[in-house]
Amino acid sequence: MSETAFVRWRDLPRGRQLVGGAPMCAGCSGLEVLHQVLDVLGEKTVIINSAGCMSLLVSYPYSPLRGSWLYTAMASAAAGAQGMRDALDLRLAQGMPAEDDLQVMVLSGDGAAYGMGLSPASGAIERGLDFIYLVYDNEGYGNTGQQQSDATPHGAHTASCGSYRGWKKDLFAIWVAHRPAYAATLIGSEPLDLARKVDKAARLKGPRLLLALAPCPTGWDFDASATVEVGHLAVKTGIWPLKEYVDGRITHTKVPRERLPVEDYLVRQGRFRHLFEPRRDEARLGEVQAAVDAYWAELPGG
Amino acid sequence: MYRIRFHGRGGQGMKTASRILGSALFLAGYEVQDAPHYGAERRGAPMHAVVRAARGPIQERGFVDRPDLVVVADEGLLAEAGAAILQGLDHHSLLLTVGREPAALWQDRLRLAGPVLALADAVIAAGERHFLGAFCAGAAARLLGVVALACLLQAVDDEVASFGEAAVARSRELAEAGWRGLEEHAGSVGEGSAAGASGQAPPDWIELQAEAGDLAAPSIHGGLSSIEVRTGLWRTQRPVIDYAHCRRCWWVCSEFCPDSAISVDADGTPTIDYAHCKGCLVCLAQCPAHAIRAVPERGASS
Ligand SMILES: Cc1ncc(C[n+]2csc(CCOP(=O)(O)OP(=O)(O)O)c2C)c(N)n1
Ligand code: SF4
Ligand code: SF4
Ligand code: SF4
Ligand SMILES: [Mg+2]
Repeated sequence: MSETAFVRWRDLPRGRQLVGGAPMCAGCSGLEVLHQVLDVLGEKTVIINSAGCMSLLVSYPYSPLRGSWLYTAMASAAAGAQGMRDALDLRLAQGMPAEDDLQVMVLSGDGAAYGMGLSPASGAIERGLDFIYLVYDNEGYGNTGQQQSDATPHGAHTASCGSYRGWKKDLFAIWVAHRPAYAATLIGSEPLDLARKVDKAARLKGPRLLLALAPCPTGWDFDASATVEVGHLAVKTGIWPLKEYVDGRITHTKVPRERLPVEDYLVRQGRFRHLFEPRRDEARLGEVQAAVDAYWAELPGG
Repeated sequence: MYRIRFHGRGGQGMKTASRILGSALFLAGYEVQDAPHYGAERRGAPMHAVVRAARGPIQERGFVDRPDLVVVADEGLLAEAGAAILQGLDHHSLLLTVGREPAALWQDRLRLAGPVLALADAVIAAGERHFLGAFCAGAAARLLGVVALACLLQAVDDEVASFGEAAVARSRELAEAGWRGLEEHAGSVGEGSAAGASGQAPPDWIELQAEAGDLAAPSIHGGLSSIEVRTGLWRTQRPVIDYAHCRRCWWVCSEFCPDSAISVDADGTPTIDYAHCKGCLVCLAQCPAHAIRAVPERGASS
């Protein structure tokens, strides 16, 4: 679509909304995505943060943000966003100039967004709340040592479940079933795709999901310098489909022409090491590959 | 009772060090406690883990405030007051630094009442800093002098098994290297006296008046204050841009830097903010011109 301000890489924002000094791990893609999103949204954004790694973002008296930030209990960010939106609407009604209005954005981990925060979010979407819901999905409870969450992928080792037998929940599909104003999957390693989607979301009103896979060197066990590379592999293997939902239609925004085998992605991460050592677990590697193949086979033209 | 603290950075294996030493002491017949100091896990950030070992039941809990042995896996941390490495060191506590500098330098700079030893870490390559834990555990075991090499290696097997065979093999080598490196000093750490609750100084409580919520609830009235937090101290490797080869494609390095630590000037020249760059080396891994190289932080001019 041509209405985007982001056609080429050099159109990406040059200025940075965040400053340094944030206490996230070196190489944290969650923080990378936050800066990429805020650089597009600009400073008139208020963040409602559910408990997780990012709740240390603002540790009194230090904040890397330009704007305001509200910390909520793990399940309650969508409820916090409702209160924030209501307060802003009230002030608008009382005569606050429209240019002082803020974009209300939830910042949530996957543990909250796929799990205990889902019901409040569902209620907020149903009420048509005008907010963005940004999820940095590191596929586990990162802040407490990477226990299993509802976003943990099949086969991943976590601190609580060993090698996970279940399957990652499809949060994008759950949101789409609510018919929100917008929903998109993102990844920090594809900043142009990300910027276009954030830009589109910013121009819409109503409930809007931005769901970013966030490679986590600490929880996934890979070297911090490989964060972007692991992200690229998630896309190229088809494990993390980049797509958006708008006006009742889902479009894939970056279809890997020839998908790499999933193990190219898995083998880079210590959380999947047991699938390769001491001997290859062909059965489970096959299960992961089959699930990805089935996803893409179901797409029209897939 | 033996009281030991291991200080390092998230990702350098100090939790593993405490587990290995704890298990080794247990195999040697001691009752043992080992635990990382609880805090959100952050790769690169200062952290520590403690071990207590005694011939009878251990009633103490929490922080080790009168250590017999303090092991510092990363010399750079000695400059960070927040790492609290010197806390509680007295004439009988031994400080072991692991790195490059000689003991005399630390003895002179830190002016400690107790002995200082230094162990060279040259056997550990830059890319395997996460094995520091095994090395430090081996060194500490030898300093205590009550753990046989066989117990140490058994403990390595038990504690590292879940990371795979290669990790176990390398950890065994390094634990043994640490153990052998301190041969001349075997047994130089003695047990501290048992401390009963009665011997403990009461905390310096300050009575605070209950205040109204708007005064008592911390709130930050200005953004961007985290600029005061020097996360640059987390760095062990420093990215350096070679401007002769830089193509001014800032939308790569500056966009991918998770910490917004690469600013861009009007003609597209990137500048790294070393006060905040955490040294993840994502920029180095992504730079298409290979114009960024890494130099070890120690010895780099600041
Ligand atoms: C109701 C509740 N249960 C448990 C916790 C403890 N806790 C704090 S952060 C966290 C993990 C959150 O996981 P996620 O939402 O994925 O964010 P991440 O830590 O991965 O960034 C947990 C369990 C909490 N704060 N509230
Ligand atoms: S644990 Fe993962 S998500 Fe959390 S701060 Fe560290 S890298 Fe980021
Ligand atoms: S990515 Fe490399 S070549 Fe491009 S601007 Fe950055 S340092 Fe220069
Ligand atoms: S190493 Fe590079 S990418 Fe990482 S924090 Fe420093 S400047 Fe940013
Ligand atoms: Mg998470």
